[in-house]
Amino acid sequence: MNRKISALIVEDEQNICNFISTTLLANEYKVLKCASGEEALSMIPSYCPEIVLLDLGLPDMDGMEIIRQVRQWSAVPIIVISARTQEKEKVRALDLGADDYITKPFGTSELLARIRTAMRHSSRAGGGLSGPNQKFKAKDFCIDFDKRVVSVGGQDVHLTQIEFKLVSLLAQNAGRVLTYDSIISKIWGPYAGSNNQILRVNMANIRRKIEKNPGDPQYIFTEVGVGYRMIEEDGES
Amino acid sequence: MEFWKDGLKTLSILAAATLLNYAVMRLTDSPYNVAIIYLLGIMLTARFTKGYFWGIAAAVSSIGCINFFFTYPFMALNFFLQGYPIAFIVMLSVALLTSTMMTNIRKHQDLVIETEKEKTRANLLRAVSHDLRTPLTSIIGSSATLLENRNMLDEEEQNEMLGQIHEDANWLLHMVENLLSVTRIHDDQVKVTKVSEPVEEVVSEAVARLKKRYPQAQIDVTVPVEFLMVPMDATLIEQVIINLLENAVKYSGSKKPVGLSVEKNGSAAVFHVRDYGVGLSSTQMETLFDGLSNPQGNSVDKTKGMGIGLSICQTIIHAHGGGLKAVNHSEGVEFIFTLPLEGGTTV
Repeated sequence: MNRKISALIVEDEQNICNFISTTLLANEYKVLKCASGEEALSMIPSYCPEIVLLDLGLPDMDGMEIIRQVRQWSAVPIIVISARTQEKEKVRALDLGADDYITKPFGTSELLARIRTAMRHSSRAGGGLSGPNQKFKAKDFCIDFDKRVVSVGGQDVHLTQIEFKLVSLLAQNAGRVLTYDSIISKIWGPYAGSNNQILRVNMANIRRKIEKNPGDPQYIFTEVGVGYRMIEEDGES
Repeated sequence: MEFWKDGLKTLSILAAATLLNYAVMRLTDSPYNVAIIYLLGIMLTARFTKGYFWGIAAAVSSIGCINFFFTYPFMALNFFLQGYPIAFIVMLSVALLTSTMMTNIRKHQDLVIETEKEKTRANLLRAVSHDLRTPLTSIIGSSATLLENRNMLDEEEQNEMLGQIHEDANWLLHMVENLLSVTRIHDDQVKVTKVSEPVEEVVSEAVARLKKRYPQAQIDVTVPVEFLMVPMDATLIEQVIINLLENAVKYSGSKKPVGLSVEKNGSAAVFHVRDYGVGLSSTQMETLFDGLSNPQGNSVDKTKGMGIGLSICQTIIHAHGGGLKAVNHSEGVEFIFTLPLEGGTTV
């Protein structure tokens, strides 16, 4: 791809902003910067960046408000940059429509991986993995969506209906974190309530079926207090 | 609320004094003890209630009671008894004096507790500042050298210094996270907000975060086969697990994988972090959780981070109502902590 992808960094800390933009420039992105919520809201419609990196702690407005306003008219991928002690904020940001989050401090490789994942999901938006003869493959783990079969190391794994739905949902969003509430409403429907015990139990069962060691998982990772994230597909990270 | 509780106390003390007086009158038929017993009641009231109000109230009502119950005419008030004003003044003074004394003593006690707290805080701050200064010195020094004398260093030396800066900055971050986690424990009640979490998820996230910092670290994780939910503040418990694993990885001086296992034991979840290294000396054992990383004049820098991390672990576990201990086994050290399975809410 010759055309450079444009990224907007919304961050009021000059040092952090510089470090992110240096990293992105070095990796062939086009970089726009702004330091306040007002600026961000006027720059996003006029420049139409292909990805937005958004710090939640801005001086003039709550980052949540930016996500809410942008989501009213645009599906541009938004990656939230947050501090570690704010699980509830992360969940709120994701439920408002942010695509992913990254926790300060982060390394450059982690940042670039998150951006790539978000870009990939946005480019196949809506379609997901539903094309003909689709398969998901990561290390020894494989899902055949047509045959509805999950296998680990060539061995078929027997999953219940709900478990298969859960695994498929996570695989369609591989690399991204899905919040408890969003998973529950997609699997059990919008009226399932917010008690996530049933989800946790199902995930524990899945873990026992597909992971060698449930205490040290290879395929599905937990972000405690936030949700679950499946490993990226092979050849795409 | 407390005011009315004190009122209830006053009422019961007075009732008790009155009953006692009745009994004494029946047995001895002499009125000499009546005032003395009420005086005792007034003193007790002033002693066990806050402020002056209830003490004075007790004095006034005692006078009333004596007049009503125990002087002629019985069961009626008569304010023209001889010596009555004197008894009233004496009882009132006793009430006032005792209340004043108690108030002063309470103030003094509060002051002592406050000083004690202040001392612990100062000690902690001192330990922390020292621990923070060491890596900061190295970061400032290395970066200044790079800025000023870059062309005098070859690439390898430059990389080494950058690596040093990176490592020290990471260490600082870890430290700050530890300190932040302590602020999650509410100061006055030393309690945490517990939510039931699947133990394997917390353990696996802690291991993943440790591996991010120490990619070469080897950890053998064992979680219970049955699904086990444990009430906890997951962020804090993760911090504890990470601290213990980090200690094992950094200070055991062994390359053998560290064992991390969890099991259910009666009404508690028991976590084990087992390393196969040099073990701990008996002096180290004694000062392990003190938060002062300088036993027996060892170089502070050598043991940086170990002390405060462990004392924070202990604070966190205690706030959960559990226990943390270290034992030497034949091939190294094992840290064991427990978390009670009761309590907590599901969200």
